[in-house]
Amino acid sequence: METEPSLYTPKARKSFLGKSYDFMAGFHLATVLLLVLLLLTWLATLEQIDQGLHYTLNKYFSWKSPYIIPTINGKIVPVLLPGGYYICALLLVNMILGGVVRIRKTPRQIGNLISHFGIIFMLIAGGVAHHFEIRGNMAIGEGEMSDVAEDYTEYVIEVAEVINGERETFHVIRGEFLSDLKKGKNRTFDFEGIPFSLVIGGYSKNVVPVSIGDRAPKKGELVTDGFYLFENEPEKEAERNIAGAYGKYVLENGEISDPIIITAASFHPHTIKVGERLFTVDMRKRLWPMPFQVKLDKFTADFHPGTSRPAEFISDIRRLENGQESTVRIEMNEPMRYEGLTFFQASYGPEGAKPGEKMFSIFEIVRNPADKWPEYSLYTVAVGMLITFLTKLFGHLSAAARKRNQHG
Amino acid sequence: MDNRSKFGKWVVALLAIAAMVVALVNLFIDNMPKGEVQKVRDYVPWEKETIELIESIPLQDGGRIKPFSTYAGFRMLSLHGARSMKVEGKGGEVFKIKPTAWLMDTVFRPWLAVQLPTFRIDNSKVLEAISVKQKGRRDRYSYSEIVSGRNKLIELAQSYEGIEKKKRDPVHQQTIDLAYNMRSYEALLGYFAFARTGLTLTGTAAPGASDQKVSFSTVMSTAAPLRSELNRMMRQEGEVEPRLQDLLQQILDGANMSKYGLFMIPPYDKTKEEWSSAGDVIMKVMTEDTEDAQAIISDISLMEGKVLGSFQSDKDFRKAITTFKDEMNQRAESRGEMGLVSLEVTYFKRDFFLNALVFFLIGSLLTLAMWALGNSAISKSIYWTIGGTTMVGAFLCVIAIVMRSIIMQRSPVGNLYDTIIFIGTTSVMLALLVEWMTRKRFALGLSPIIGAALILLARRYEMGDAGDHLDPLVAVLDSNYWLTTHVITITLGYSAGLLSAVLSCAYVLMRGLNLDGDDKEMLRSLTKAVYGCICLTVFLSLVGTVLGGIWANDSWGRFWGWDPKENGALMIVLWTLAILHARLGGIIKDWGLHLCSIFTSCIVAFSWWHVNFLGVGLHNYGFTAGKSTIWVFYGVMSFFILTGIMMMWLEKEFAKQKQQRILIEASRAKS
Repeated sequence: METEPSLYTPKARKSFLGKSYDFMAGFHLATVLLLVLLLLTWLATLEQIDQGLHYTLNKYFSWKSPYIIPTINGKIVPVLLPGGYYICALLLVNMILGGVVRIRKTPRQIGNLISHFGIIFMLIAGGVAHHFEIRGNMAIGEGEMSDVAEDYTEYVIEVAEVINGERETFHVIRGEFLSDLKKGKNRTFDFEGIPFSLVIGGYSKNVVPVSIGDRAPKKGELVTDGFYLFENEPEKEAERNIAGAYGKYVLENGEISDPIIITAASFHPHTIKVGERLFTVDMRKRLWPMPFQVKLDKFTADFHPGTSRPAEFISDIRRLENGQESTVRIEMNEPMRYEGLTFFQASYGPEGAKPGEKMFSIFEIVRNPADKWPEYSLYTVAVGMLITFLTKLFGHLSAAARKRNQHG
Repeated sequence: MDNRSKFGKWVVALLAIAAMVVALVNLFIDNMPKGEVQKVRDYVPWEKETIELIESIPLQDGGRIKPFSTYAGFRMLSLHGARSMKVEGKGGEVFKIKPTAWLMDTVFRPWLAVQLPTFRIDNSKVLEAISVKQKGRRDRYSYSEIVSGRNKLIELAQSYEGIEKKKRDPVHQQTIDLAYNMRSYEALLGYFAFARTGLTLTGTAAPGASDQKVSFSTVMSTAAPLRSELNRMMRQEGEVEPRLQDLLQQILDGANMSKYGLFMIPPYDKTKEEWSSAGDVIMKVMTEDTEDAQAIISDISLMEGKVLGSFQSDKDFRKAITTFKDEMNQRAESRGEMGLVSLEVTYFKRDFFLNALVFFLIGSLLTLAMWALGNSAISKSIYWTIGGTTMVGAFLCVIAIVMRSIIMQRSPVGNLYDTIIFIGTTSVMLALLVEWMTRKRFALGLSPIIGAALILLARRYEMGDAGDHLDPLVAVLDSNYWLTTHVITITLGYSAGLLSAVLSCAYVLMRGLNLDGDDKEMLRSLTKAVYGCICLTVFLSLVGTVLGGIWANDSWGRFWGWDPKENGALMIVLWTLAILHARLGGIIKDWGLHLCSIFTSCIVAFSWWHVNFLGVGLHNYGFTAGKSTIWVFYGVMSFFILTGIMMMWLEKEFAKQKQQRILIEASRAKS
């Protein structure tokens, strides 16, 4: 039964710094942070049903979101909540101060100390992955070779010169320099060795180019060459968005071209001839070069007999690097880890392929410096918790036995 | 002297009786056929010996080899909504028909089967829409009763399928389901039609007599000359002779009718995994030059014998079945696919979980008696009886789980049904462990109640889902290492979390209604047990969640994907960690700990059950069974939390008043 303490030990008055330290290292803050994180996780789980995962994660857990106003079933919940990123950061500080620095360094606390170390390491792993992880995919047909992965969501603009019929010397404008160029905001890009600048504006993350003959613009969209960009609602699965923007060429003599549409929905890149030199301007998902080539020798998709329930997906590949060749098998739960990159069996096609039909395999490719850290932190946390709980359990059991013996 | 509050005892007794009634009604509803007993005038049951012979015939379904009885069980469950039905047969006698007999009727005696109340209709509006005469709002109907609306049903179902699944109302969905059920039932009804009717050779009749009849196997043996004759006709005459055309049409119809029902013919080619239906092999022999033609014709001939045998006597039928079964078993055995069929027959026949439920219910009744009788000598002997019945129940569950693991050739937890029975069993065992550590009778008393509740839930889920829960898993889940480590750890975490909540509910009643009889040690033990369970939940959930992350990292290349199931597990970790930190920081005391512990069950239920309804994520199973149950559960737990808050407030008020009285009396005494 709970009892209210009748006597209080008078405490020495603490400085502001001391009080702040107590607060930052305290159980109260830990409890509140854990509860807020719980609430955010719950709300993010519900919100992703309507808004999709990519949007929800950015909203709830990105460093760019210091606060959140949740939406459930499409309705705004009038509550202002702190962003998940900052809650995790505060929790990390709280755990370091309270769970490592301030905790009593006695044998009884050794388990707790180890557990806190493990969780701190796990949170750091999460932070490292959040900031430094890169992921993309590689679709490759049987017998084909590839050495690039494609980003899932980042659209870039590629400017290239055509030399002898081939596009060469690529210049890339990364997505972070495009995504803020909404209506009314332009940015000019210069490229070394290219005799024009490119002014980009009117960027939208999901568009479709529409002919004014098919559908007249309703929101005052810019029309160029009989087309305009019709803005669609962002897709729930962010990788299905098709970005687009408007651009203008500014030549070295100050001449400015008519606006052009640059979108990933175009089948062919836009071309511009300056003197005798020919250039292409294209929007596409960012390509990411691999340090080696991959050749898909064979893809096998097995199903449980008589059903369409997948039993096994296997890609037999050859990895080619510096004239060396290695044979590797990638399958479900058995990725290839090599040179800091991990190749996972993600998907395949074409669906319902008939025997003998040429198939392709899709790999998810990830570079994550903290790839194995959660595993190491798990061992640490598990050992720490086990020590704590077993100590408590045995303590309880021996106390109970003592009590019984006394009564007996 | 028993210091416990009489009022409290009555409240708890009433609650317990109400819970018991709900459990028994559930059990009754699950096991008793619904609606009036249908009259099927000529119905005679199959002999037991015949059923036993057929139940272990192997067939392929859902990606694995299973016995006829298992297939029958789940087919009956999906169409009829129960594993048994009653009919009034020959001589007015009432017979109980179980799955194997029901499927035997369907495929071997379709003229009787169409009169059996096979279809469960949950909303009579479905029948109203297809102009079929309705009985009650929810009832069971025979194929003959609804076949008149078949065409309209198919038409409506097709139009409803055009509506997005989320936007369909229950009648839309039930119409679609009924259309699918009717079609799959028709595939079974017509499965042996080829053997029953054979083929008619048009134009072979002598004057005044009917045309000659031949069996499919006879015609199949002439497949090669028939094909060359057909080719010749097409080449030379540009058309097929009408009598041959008629014969080919009959073959095609017969093969189509037996194409989708039972895949009971193992392939001769050992490199192939897919078993065939009778229709598959008929078409194979008729259309291709196959080296297995003679063997296949012999298989079809055996099937014809099996059916023709059924027209004679049970004895002849058994003889025909034995020949067919021996041949198929031998072939399946040579392919190494027969090993677990008989074990599976035993597993379903023994119905371990139903038996365990009986023991748990006896244990629950005895618990009521034990709590009512206080500390008397009888109560002490009941204590041991409860321990015995609960342990027997748990033991039966363990046997069943082990058997399932052997049959499935994987770790015991891989789908939602597995989780229910596993959580049920482990919660009971954990409660027994708590009892062993505390010896206060509350954990022992709760253990059979938890067991009974979760087995009832498993039965409800099985009925709603009606899918074979022993079928193999999809590729990404098919990893014994991860299923054993991550899934079992997470599931054990659910068990510990739920047990802590149940113990806390007991605490609320005990302290709130003054049932502890001033035995402070009792409440202290409960608090310690709950604290221990929460610690265990943190440990198991955290380790399980991170293991899941490591698995996801190996499978999909990301440690954390914010999948609702992953988030649910994380929520359990965060909540239980918050409880422990709040307790250590003195934010919550005993009452707070128990109220938070009850809320743990809501988070566990969200993670375990509710996320499956959200329709997003990799763990989304896309089912709706048990959707209403989850809200009932949240309601019951909220009731306990609110009751606890009220009791806590009242207790504080009484304590305040008492203190005031003491102060007044003390000041009076002073003055």
